Amino acid sequence: MYGELTVRPFVGVLILLALGFVLPLLLPEYFLYLGNTLMMYAILALGLDLLLGWSGQFAFAHIAFFGIGIYTSALLQLRLGVPFIVGVPIAAAFAGLVGLLIAIPATRLRTVYLALATYAFAECAQWIFRAWDSVTKGSDGLRISAPDIFGYVVGTDRRAFPVMAIILALVLLSFLYLTRSKLGRELCAIRDSEHVASASGIDVKRTKVIAFVLSAVFAGLAGGTYTLFQSFVNPDSVGLAQLILVLTMVVVGGSGSIAGVLIGVVLIGLLPEFLRAAPRGLLVWQEFFYGLILVLATMFMPRGLWGLWQSLFARAKPQPAASPAAGARGPAA
Amino acid sequence: MSTILSIKNLTMRFGGLTALNDFSMDVAEGSIHALIGPNGAGKSTVFNCISRFCDPQGSIEFAGNSVLALPSHGVVRIGIGRTFQNLELLQRMTVLENVLVGLTRRLPAYIPFAPSPHRSRTEAQAVRDAEEILDQTGLRPYRDSLAGELDFGRQKLLDLARALASEPRLLLLDEPAAGLRNREISFVDALLLDLVKTRKVTIVLVEHVMQLVMSVADRITVLNFGQKIAEGRPNDIRNDPRVIEAYLGSAADA
Ligand SMILES: Nc1ncnc2c1ncn2[C@@H]1O[C@H](COP(=O)(O)OP(=O)(O)OP(=O)(O)O)[C@@H](O)[C@H]1O
Ligand SMILES: [Mg+2]
Repeated sequence: MYGELTVRPFVGVLILLALGFVLPLLLPEYFLYLGNTLMMYAILALGLDLLLGWSGQFAFAHIAFFGIGIYTSALLQLRLGVPFIVGVPIAAAFAGLVGLLIAIPATRLRTVYLALATYAFAECAQWIFRAWDSVTKGSDGLRISAPDIFGYVVGTDRRAFPVMAIILALVLLSFLYLTRSKLGRELCAIRDSEHVASASGIDVKRTKVIAFVLSAVFAGLAGGTYTLFQSFVNPDSVGLAQLILVLTMVVVGGSGSIAGVLIGVVLIGLLPEFLRAAPRGLLVWQEFFYGLILVLATMFMPRGLWGLWQSLFARAKPQPAASPAAGARGPAA
Repeated sequence: MSTILSIKNLTMRFGGLTALNDFSMDVAEGSIHALIGPNGAGKSTVFNCISRFCDPQGSIEFAGNSVLALPSHGVVRIGIGRTFQNLELLQRMTVLENVLVGLTRRLPAYIPFAPSPHRSRTEAQAVRDAEEILDQTGLRPYRDSLAGELDFGRQKLLDLARALASEPRLLLLDEPAAGLRNREISFVDALLLDLVKTRKVTIVLVEHVMQLVMSVADRITVLNFGQKIAEGRPNDIRNDPRVIEAYLGSAADA
């Protein structure tokens, strides 16, 4: 994409901010918990889509960077008393640094090999969270103390909600600008054709590394926001199930599109709530449902719900139907 | 006229197959130099060597630069643009965005996450430049269509427009007229002549459409099985027995 930010997305961000301050006055704690969860997943999913949908890299280490973000910010707070506002940027930067280390070998790989190698890394990271008992408390999990932001103690979902909204708004703005930038177009270019990209002067390897690092930073940031409204983390919070959940959000909503990803986050994120209302026997099948939805979506809806919507309604664009070169004025003499 | 591109003793092997065998060729600045030959002769491989997608033996000099010392993305920076034989486009990007990607190496860096006056100026100028190229190639009416949704002829033109956006001194065109109708071919014909005249571009043209080659080329090099079999002006090449033999032997569409 290109050009200035249009009014519509900008208004969307303002509405999000307004809701961030108004909803805590109106809704019960449980709904605010859901909202916080969705906002955290939105940051996580947008970060994943940066790599998957925008840059075309099938890399699945994302959940590991999320874990690194959670543990780093939680431990900085717990062990060293580093305040949230300092700890979260450090956690995001640390996730980015690990992302950089992974990116350098990963950019040598493509398709299935890349997917396998990055997934293996995610498994390793989870193993470390589990095995490094003295620091992470292993499988027992880690208590997270309530963050304190300039004296504003975030102990409840109600108090976390506006902070979450502000962070998501900033993430959305930076995403909206990124996707309209030169860098954003370069990411799309390597997704569509590495040959065309490098023939156009784009350093494909370097651009992939940038995509990996940015994606890891967003995942780390999402991990930081986890500590805002969750009081406990263990290695099971950052495993395959969560990876599939985020992947399903991106694919079902529509990868390569901010609106698509947000739709996916809301729909898939709220699915357990609907399943909860169903008979108890169904809940056991939850993981199976996500897998099934993911498979069906990739097969029948490669561009997600948002892509489907656009091809049905929005992009009914008039194309001049004249024969080729008829529209051409001929070379300017 | 001085030599702008000088290819010397280029040899490229793919496993047991020798796609280029000790191939040399000089291209004069400001000329349209056609590179022809039957299917599989090694024409695209010459381009892929210049683009650094292949790693050949030999040397390629362009305007005082050693091309083989550059990385793939460095080639356009010294002024060499190219198009692709098999439609390689940025399918999921719009026509305008394809051209903006072609412009990308000319744009100054800015922080991508936030607005700034520098960014706005840079981007506005880039869009104006891209639109100018769309005007010149007749693609302006399709500015916001997805590249993948254009018809074949316009996809070919878009590939050329993207290559032009980098303001190359040398353009490598790999079969720009393949699959085009007559009307489109004469458009490409006029466009190429115009590029050489007004933009002072040098063109190496790989093409099977002899109608186009004969009408625009200043000089022709003929490849067969990776080796140069003839070189000269269009009229000499037309009557060269080795060329006729090579084409008849492979029943090409010349
Ligand atoms: N990347 C590659 N790997 C293996 N073989 C290749 C590769 N690229 C080209 N070749 C082989 O090298 C030979 C020359 O191919 P090239 O594409 O250069 O021919 P061409 O002259 O462009 O033909 P055409 O007119 O059909 O486009 C062919 O036999 C082709 O199969
Ligand atoms: Mg070819």
